[in-house]
Amino acid sequence: MKSDRYDVVVVGAGLCGLTAAAAAAHQKMKVALVATGPGSFVTGSGWLTAQDVQRASSAPDLSEALAFFCELARRAGSPYAGDITSAKFLPTLLGDFQSVALAPLLLWNGEPRDDVSTAVIGVLGLSGFDESFMAERLSEQARAIGSSGTYTARQISFSHSIGTPVTTLRIAQLFDRDSDFRKELVCALRAAASGFQRIFVPGMLGLDSSEGQIAEFKSELGCAISEISTLPPSIPGLRVFHRFERYLQKIGVELFRGFPIDEVVIRDGVCAGMRIATPGHAMNLRGLCAVLATGRHSPSPLGLACAGRDHEMRPLDSTGALIARNLFIAGPQPHSASDKSDAMRILTGYRAGNLAASTRGNHAS
Amino acid sequence: MRLDDFAIDNCLKCALCNTVCPVLAADPQYPGPKRLGPEFERLRREGISTDTEWMEYCLGCHRCDLVCPHQVNASEMIARAKAEHRKPLVRGLRDWWFARPGLLGKLTTILPALSNLALAVKPARFLMSKLMQIAPQRSFPKYTRPDLCSSARAASTSAKTARQRVVFFPGCFIRYNRPELGRVVIDLLERNGLSVEVASSECCGVPALANGDAAAARSAARANIRAMAAQIDSGLRIVTACSSCGHMLKTAFGGVLESDKKFADAAQKIANNTFDLAELLMAQADAGELDTGFQRTNLLLAYHAPCHQRSQGIGRPWYHLLRMIPGVTVEDLDAGCCGMSGTYGFKQEKYPVSMKIGEELFVSIRAAQPQMVATECATCQMQIEHGTSFKAIHPAEILLRAYDRTAPDASRNACSESSKDCSSDLCECGPCRQKPEGRNY
Repeated sequence: MKSDRYDVVVVGAGLCGLTAAAAAAHQKMKVALVATGPGSFVTGSGWLTAQDVQRASSAPDLSEALAFFCELARRAGSPYAGDITSAKFLPTLLGDFQSVALAPLLLWNGEPRDDVSTAVIGVLGLSGFDESFMAERLSEQARAIGSSGTYTARQISFSHSIGTPVTTLRIAQLFDRDSDFRKELVCALRAAASGFQRIFVPGMLGLDSSEGQIAEFKSELGCAISEISTLPPSIPGLRVFHRFERYLQKIGVELFRGFPIDEVVIRDGVCAGMRIATPGHAMNLRGLCAVLATGRHSPSPLGLACAGRDHEMRPLDSTGALIARNLFIAGPQPHSASDKSDAMRILTGYRAGNLAASTRGNHAS
Repeated sequence: MRLDDFAIDNCLKCALCNTVCPVLAADPQYPGPKRLGPEFERLRREGISTDTEWMEYCLGCHRCDLVCPHQVNASEMIARAKAEHRKPLVRGLRDWWFARPGLLGKLTTILPALSNLALAVKPARFLMSKLMQIAPQRSFPKYTRPDLCSSARAASTSAKTARQRVVFFPGCFIRYNRPELGRVVIDLLERNGLSVEVASSECCGVPALANGDAAAARSAARANIRAMAAQIDSGLRIVTACSSCGHMLKTAFGGVLESDKKFADAAQKIANNTFDLAELLMAQADAGELDTGFQRTNLLLAYHAPCHQRSQGIGRPWYHLLRMIPGVTVEDLDAGCCGMSGTYGFKQEKYPVSMKIGEELFVSIRAAQPQMVATECATCQMQIEHGTSFKAIHPAEILLRAYDRTAPDASRNACSESSKDCSSDLCECGPCRQKPEGRNY
């Protein structure tokens, strides 16, 4: 197999692209993943709301796709909790409760619990996380849904130099690298948690810490803990992203990070590859099949040529003619409100990855 | 990395750049690429000074540029601000020299033995630390009289049947410190059907840009274009074995000649025709022209991709090439920046942060317990050997050696002079094999 030649080239590394790359790689395809950023993982925690799942619920293969995604997350070392038939309320930065179907484990302990006292713990100097406001709002919201749980604001500070301004990123980096800092954090949190059964903290418990480190931290803490995702960059989201990326690389997916697609090379109704805008000369990644999962916020590499897609997710031009028979457009349809959900991103990524893998089989001869 | 005036407006302040900045991870006080780059750039464009000593602390690793979903070239903005930054006299003088490794190489190799002695003896190192603020913990690489041109020309005339001709851009380290590595590169290329001319090039200019000396970078770029004029016109492919030289050539000398139309066109031509050695060998493999007659070599390697290799966007060609050798196991460390960044780690005030950045890489090397580390950047090699007890070498040496484990080659010849300073890490001569420590092979 030639170095620049792949069975499947996936463009985009958000929920959709990562799932597509993994689906194709699990079908023993040689996969290249091209991306310039982590998609929505930088702004969110990577959780799936119940509404998201509901919007995609008419698809017969939704549960299969989400089960695949959860298995993927488990293997990547970033397990998700929950399932698609039930949901629970989890707290947000605005002091709301959001109905969530699936979420990374560190965020899963946040549901309203009757007769449970929770400390919402902020960090001195950390902007964008107002524990007093959140505690007040959460108490109100909990009462509104008939929960007798209480929420109280607490604040911690560190003797460690964590720079100015204090950000969750800096705390997370120290958490990853510095065992003394982890000890200090545990002590500070334990003191703040005294008298409470559970604590909420900003999403800051490391970007790359191992599952073992997190487990040790939790056991030393000695009470239930839940993270709340903060303003970008979202530490919980990037944590999931890094684990997924590492896992994909481990199963043989080749990552091309940092350079946008210059051109989707299409000849005679077949996508011949992707030209990546690398310095000096563009790199031409040839794939027997390609998946575009570039999201709603980036311009499509196909430009205005693509007016829609057929039932096999292949791009159509404005006359309804097929643009390329080995190219699959994953992610939300441009003008469909029902598609704009993270569950749909996973579902279309899963479908596109599998379609690309099976199409590649037909083309291999 | 799209270099245009609108890049600044593309910054949405998501701070993703900050999450990958090695300096920020090591020193929480560092303002980070978001602030030093696009945030301050807005002020700079209004004529408001944003000068701070922190500008000097940017490694120029380009990780922030690569991670940006909107192609904001933060590190290039910082590099331009760095050129405006005023340093105290001693640091300025030291960095003037650090910006000119070519000149340093020419001078030290007039009498290499004397220069090496002067750079190695303790009193001299002490004086350098006191007078020039050069970290006393570091050792300088040994200088050797440059003889790459003559031997290469002699070699290339014998390869008349070669189908293609390429130009080898050796860079300062190969020219003045490790010409034998240059011969390894030439042997590898010739073995794979390419006839090699050695460019009579100067420093690529990366050290000048890194030290905030835009004038020196421009003058280096012009000198290189003049030196390679004939080869550029004939459209020959240019090969680099140093990832920083490759990065510089591929980015049209970091855009330092943008305002000079005549030179800018030539720089772009160079950029279009420049290939990393491994990239070219992989292209040979794709064309079915790579000699894959590798001998079994039982070797456990850890591969570290230098930042300037990643910034070229060529994937991981060395990782794949090394894995073609039967018996070789390669672990891709993927553990971030080594922290050396050329001359950065030699600077006394930056030594602690340099070592702290490297810690993650050191830990992952120790965990992998390889027989040696393969990495194509000379200063990454220095940092790895300084921070761990593991030997680090250029992967080209491993590849060439795997072709024929009995035939003498350039790296082997080097060791016959003195087994103590043996520069061949795959050497199997008696004294080398008996060396108990400092060698993990």
